[in-house]
Amino acid sequence: MALVEIKDVSIERGGSIIVKNFSASLKPSTITAIIGPNGSGKSSLLAAIAGDISCSKGTISINKSNVADLSLLEQAAVRSVVLQDRNYWLSYSVREVIAMGQSDDAIARIDEILIKLDMADFADQRVTTLSGGEAQRVEIARALIRHSELYLLDEPLSAQDARSKERIIEILKQMRSEGKTILLIAHSDKRDLTWCDDVIDDLA
Amino acid sequence: MKRLAFIIALLPVGALLALTVGVADIANIWSYIFNPFQDAQNSAHQIIWQIRAPRIAAAILVGASLGIAGVLAQGSTNNPIADPAILGTSAGASLGVLIGLLLNVVSIGSFGAVIFAAIGALLATRLSFSLARSALQLITIGIGVSAILSAIVGLILSIISRPDARSVSFWSFGSLALVTPRVLWVLAPVFLIASILAWKIAPTLDLLSLGDASVRHMGHDAQRIRLRAFSLLAVLVAVTVSSVGSIAFLALAAPHIARYINGPRNRALVIYSGAIGALILLGADTAARAVLPPHELPIGLLTSLIGAPILIATLKKGGDVWR
Repeated sequence: MALVEIKDVSIERGGSIIVKNFSASLKPSTITAIIGPNGSGKSSLLAAIAGDISCSKGTISINKSNVADLSLLEQAAVRSVVLQDRNYWLSYSVREVIAMGQSDDAIARIDEILIKLDMADFADQRVTTLSGGEAQRVEIARALIRHSELYLLDEPLSAQDARSKERIIEILKQMRSEGKTILLIAHSDKRDLTWCDDVIDDLA
Repeated sequence: MKRLAFIIALLPVGALLALTVGVADIANIWSYIFNPFQDAQNSAHQIIWQIRAPRIAAAILVGASLGIAGVLAQGSTNNPIADPAILGTSAGASLGVLIGLLLNVVSIGSFGAVIFAAIGALLATRLSFSLARSALQLITIGIGVSAILSAIVGLILSIISRPDARSVSFWSFGSLALVTPRVLWVLAPVFLIASILAWKIAPTLDLLSLGDASVRHMGHDAQRIRLRAFSLLAVLVAVTVSSVGSIAFLALAAPHIARYINGPRNRALVIYSGAIGALILLGADTAARAVLPPHELPIGLLTSLIGAPILIATLKKGGDVWR
């Protein structure tokens, strides 16, 4: 039984079709990577699964419910999203940003997640002073702290150094063993993605 | 918390000092001030408790309203230069009040005027926001909307001929001289309700700073958060404009000063910025009355003269609150 079912999906952006008649299914407890050149529709597909944009053709369903029919709260309950570029412009602390909009339940797990992601050192630092990789980890922490079935990550490894990359991959694998389903965009070669269960490299 | 206690403690001290300032030279002034319920027929007592005190209370309430309005404006638009003047909110409120006055259905400082002002403020803010496609455009378009509405207000003021035209035009430039005890009965309850609601929705403005997509991903609708903030902004600006006219600069400066003191968290910001706005307007209005008696200086000039240097100093020293 698939958690995510993508059926014959086409996505248009700015008048041109960037994802064409694409079908795939994501099984529970798997990690899937999408690779491909810039502008090949990776982020658009992720956004469509997240419910941010609509498909011009086809359907995407999570747990058999059409994403387009779910309310914002229902979508939020089933999936977490990590965006790629994050520019913080107000000097909240790392801890404050992670807690924003979270349930009390999730807030109680902040310390645990900070240690897990090797962020305890800069937990009380202002987010405006973070490096790109650190800011990216704040975003990952915001998603991981929530209990979702599905995690959609747009290039979670792109700005990380080798050590952080290793650690994030370890965490993703651990999440997989806990039954989570992960779809991520990567800019790596297929050979470096052997830790993933599946690699999608052709969206058109 | 210590800093907040200090700011809030300054308010009653400032208010007491402000009670002593005025054209009338009153002997034994402190005995009147500390015995508010004695000797009510005495003219000195009346000057202090029926003219000065309501005006001081209004300065505090209007200042706090504008401080909170600035937090809502900047938080909901994710923009550090947003304020009710730039978004068109103030001009919309002025036009609303003026229409109400021309239709002879409201008077300045009444509940009816607040309703006309709130409708004008909300429509103008929504117009600016719906025309803009980016945060930068919002400022440019807001300035445009504001300019059009202000020009219409100016045109109407210059062609109307009615017995109260002088006080209407006085009002349009912003003045606390028009405050009567009756105005406080409108100002205080509206301020109280709107500021509590602002405090309640403040955490959603924190979330909004992460961008609309992140708000969505947490299950919320950014536009709905904005609409709520705009509605409260409109009410707060409406109640100030309909009672004392538009007062420059305060709503822009107070949130920045508050952020410098206590960081960007919006819930604390509502309280800090409200207190700072109240303090600046109280100081400005007292100075307006004290500097050149019996003349009163225009309040907008003093809020700018007091607020701007503090704003510039905090931004120069703080620096890292806004990236």
